[in-house]
Amino acid sequence: MFKLNLKIAFRNLFKNKVYAAINIGGLAIGLTAFILLLLFINHESDYDKWDPELSKIYQIREKHDFFTPDNKQYWQEAVESRIGALTREKIPQFKHVTKVDRIWGNGFSVKIANADPIMVTDFRDADSAFFKVFPYQFVQGDQLTALNEPNTMVLKKKMAVRLFGTDKVVGKEVKVVMWRNDKGRSFKITGVVQEPSTPESVDINAIMHTGDRDKDPESISNSNYCSVYGLAGNILDTTAMNKTLQRIYVDYKKSSFTQRKITYDDYYKNGKVPGLKLVPLQETHANPPFVNGWLQKIKPVIALSIFLLLVSVINFVNLATAQSVQRAKEVGVKKVLGSYRKQLVNQFLFESAIQSLLALFISIVLVELCLPSFNAHFDVTLSFWHSNQLIGIALQLIGVFVVVTLLAGLYPAVVLSNYNPVSVLKGNYERGFKGLALRNGLVVVQFIIAVTFMISIGVMHLQTSYVANKDLGFDRSKLINIQTNYEDDFANRIKKIPGVQYVATTTQVMGNTFNVPEEITYNNQVYNVNTVTVSMDALSALGVQVVSGRIFSSEYGQDTVNTVVLNQAAANLMGKNLVGKQYDIISEKEKYTFQIVGIIKDYHNEGFDKTVIPTVYKANDLGGTSNTNNLLIRFNTSNYQDIVKKIEAEWKRLYPDFPMQYVTVEDAFQKELESSRRLMQMVVLFSIISVILSLLGLFALATFLAKRKTKEIAIRKILGASDFQIINMLNRSFLILVLFANITSWPIAYILTRKWLEGFAYRIDMPFLPFLAATVLSVVVAVFTITLQARKAAISNPVDSLKYE
Amino acid sequence: MIKIENLEKVYKTEEIETTALNGINLHVKEGEFVSIMGPSGCGKSTLLNVMGLLDKPESGSYKFLETELLKLNDRERSNFRKRNMGFVFQNFNLIDELTVFENIELPLIYNKIPSAERKKLVNEIIERMNIVNRSGHFPQQLSGGQQQRVAVARALVTKPKLVLADEPTGNLDSAHGNEVMELLCELNETGTTIVMVTHSSHDASFSNRIINLKDGHVISEKINKGKTEELI
Repeated sequence: MFKLNLKIAFRNLFKNKVYAAINIGGLAIGLTAFILLLLFINHESDYDKWDPELSKIYQIREKHDFFTPDNKQYWQEAVESRIGALTREKIPQFKHVTKVDRIWGNGFSVKIANADPIMVTDFRDADSAFFKVFPYQFVQGDQLTALNEPNTMVLKKKMAVRLFGTDKVVGKEVKVVMWRNDKGRSFKITGVVQEPSTPESVDINAIMHTGDRDKDPESISNSNYCSVYGLAGNILDTTAMNKTLQRIYVDYKKSSFTQRKITYDDYYKNGKVPGLKLVPLQETHANPPFVNGWLQKIKPVIALSIFLLLVSVINFVNLATAQSVQRAKEVGVKKVLGSYRKQLVNQFLFESAIQSLLALFISIVLVELCLPSFNAHFDVTLSFWHSNQLIGIALQLIGVFVVVTLLAGLYPAVVLSNYNPVSVLKGNYERGFKGLALRNGLVVVQFIIAVTFMISIGVMHLQTSYVANKDLGFDRSKLINIQTNYEDDFANRIKKIPGVQYVATTTQVMGNTFNVPEEITYNNQVYNVNTVTVSMDALSALGVQVVSGRIFSSEYGQDTVNTVVLNQAAANLMGKNLVGKQYDIISEKEKYTFQIVGIIKDYHNEGFDKTVIPTVYKANDLGGTSNTNNLLIRFNTSNYQDIVKKIEAEWKRLYPDFPMQYVTVEDAFQKELESSRRLMQMVVLFSIISVILSLLGLFALATFLAKRKTKEIAIRKILGASDFQIINMLNRSFLILVLFANITSWPIAYILTRKWLEGFAYRIDMPFLPFLAATVLSVVVAVFTITLQARKAAISNPVDSLKYE
Repeated sequence: MIKIENLEKVYKTEEIETTALNGINLHVKEGEFVSIMGPSGCGKSTLLNVMGLLDKPESGSYKFLETELLKLNDRERSNFRKRNMGFVFQNFNLIDELTVFENIELPLIYNKIPSAERKKLVNEIIERMNIVNRSGHFPQQLSGGQQQRVAVARALVTKPKLVLADEPTGNLDSAHGNEVMELLCELNETGTTIVMVTHSSHDASFSNRIINLKDGHVISEKINKGKTEELI
């Protein structure tokens, strides 16, 4: 029986090659998108799973407002270094606590003997307890003693091989240069650890033990920040632990304030609150401090993939039921010969299973083909065959296969097995409209999805081009940012290179922004503003637009002392006619007065999802105390590649041990746009596929209806209907469906795209054009598709069809 | 073998009620070859469908070898049908995707006959029907006469007690039609009971008894003397 059913299934597939191809191909495409998504979710949820001990590691997070994009409080991974000792002392549940430096700058330069320097990333300074908390497998060296001495280093295997060509490197020395004129520090390699089998949220290529992390700053008014991790004896009750931590933290803060002679209430005002908590290491990747976790980010992608799969499943159902007429006789005969209904349902489910299985195989091939570009596009490293989760993925795929088979196969199977043998064997196939409503409904759902996709493309395209062409408030062309501090000697040397217009520094530029909150008092009102420190030429170098007054200039000696420039947002906050006015910064003991000399147009230094915050610009000769690795160079020609080479040569002469790194501000800007652009590309791709699939579905339904109406068409033709009238008749019933789908998708698309637009601080008004265009396009394409099929029915010879009947 | 009493069947649509069978009484003896004739819409096909357990009457009794069949549920009807009955249709109703051999094999599979025995039985009947060289062909590759032979072979392969034939020659030319009728006669001679619905008095002349239906009633019954004498 099984063998026979298999034969019937394959012979049917071969007989209806086009349908089979549409059916299986469509499903394969839907599955491909779904599997890619599945791989991505698997990858993301696989973080920090490489050792069972990791479930007992906790990251400490502190609530504070430094290093934030908008000067508001966040739960941050960067915690004050004294928290390490505090938790070690007060939380007995922790067996070990370790402190690790945060990642600063863009990497270090590593020198081995006299070889050229190599830029490396994720070399992090940790205290001696690091490998007591993190259970890395040592290939070389000893886990417990590797970091006992200062100036020791443990490398990851890949890094060891990259630097030395081998992992047998214990005892060798490396010199790490942390910034361009750092003299460098030598480390003795005491261990090499295995690469973990799953991705990690704590990025390391090497752990350095300088010894600095073992101690905290001596003066209580100095503090520095690092990450703190604790290993507990067993899994902790985080809610209870967090209550304890909060209490300990508040006590600690109070006592430190007493020593620093500031009051608790003075520190925690304007809604600021103290906070300390722990987060299980395995949850940190899903809950990053500032941005949304990966699950939040890919929610639209999840929805897209599910919709696409749905569209392809609907297609499958539609095509299968449309074809069912051809199978009616088989059902009738089998029933007469004694087949049970259940056997028939099983047979047709089995056929769906064969098709989904074929689709699954094709989609696995497609996934393999797509993975390299998918990985490049989304900056991930997913793999399928080489994944260590292959068994898990295989089980998930079996699950998907079963669900898709049931979704796609059950309805056609039930319809088919319900055929009444008496009537089908007489040649009277079901002529009623039973089931047609459902098929129409499915086509409507498909079109709702497709039209919603099309509208979304339109809206997203308009918003993206609005953003891409929006005036940033500064001139991003001919501008590069060398990732280093401002230093007079170097700056003066490159100023002499022809083509260089300005050399400047600022704490705020697209791609690297460091905000410092400040309270200012103006007209007895207190305002919270953001302070940006710039060198004299920085605003000119950026090419900002002056609204009133002036920007800094070396003509005015006072400019490096107590004059400020406001941006429009700050000016709007503080009132009118501000140029020439003064404001104060009042600290506990002293009052500093600043004069406003100019107002500039707001300029963007982050993505368009964030508003430009009220900002005060202060000039400082050397870029000020907040030197944040920005060295802006403005050229007066757009052909500046040769000039960059000259700058590099100059750099190499001064800093031979540290390669120069720079980005163009244009690239930094493009990077800001990247995430919305990626989403848009994804939506475009998915919508094209879903529109094609929906049209195939419509095509199939038109075929089905044309077949059913063969007799009606023949009679009408005999009675004198023209081909055009026949085509018209067939089109009409579908047009109603497509129009209905359009009307339904308008509000859906409106709500979805509005929600998306709301994520942008700078956005277009909801445009009407995409709605109109999607509707016109869907109607035109639908008419074309149906006409293609209807024409065939219309021009056929009526005598043949009547004879056939 | 078959005792049908007071059989009634009504087709209902939203507006019209059509009485297809109106108190039919019919007895068929084992080994008999009965033809049912009558004008279009007289209920002859409905009667055949009820006898083949493909359709359910509103009331009446249908006993087959003393078993009341109208009380059976769907599954029991399927089981009874596949063990005791074979069908031959006007339009052959072979499954296009199966070869001649596989089409004939199908009822044996439903009767759970082991593979080796199936092969034997199918080969026997293929030989008997003189279609050996066609066993690997698909139905579309055969002439109408050959297709009907395959259909008859399929009806006979399970050695049913009753063969129901619905206008078996309706789609055939007279030469092929005669061949099929001769086949049915041969079959009848080996003891199989046959009930056949037909429009053709020529075909009916091959049977022992002719029953005429009109408007759901049996209006006359005729013993085919020639045949009966032959039989005697």
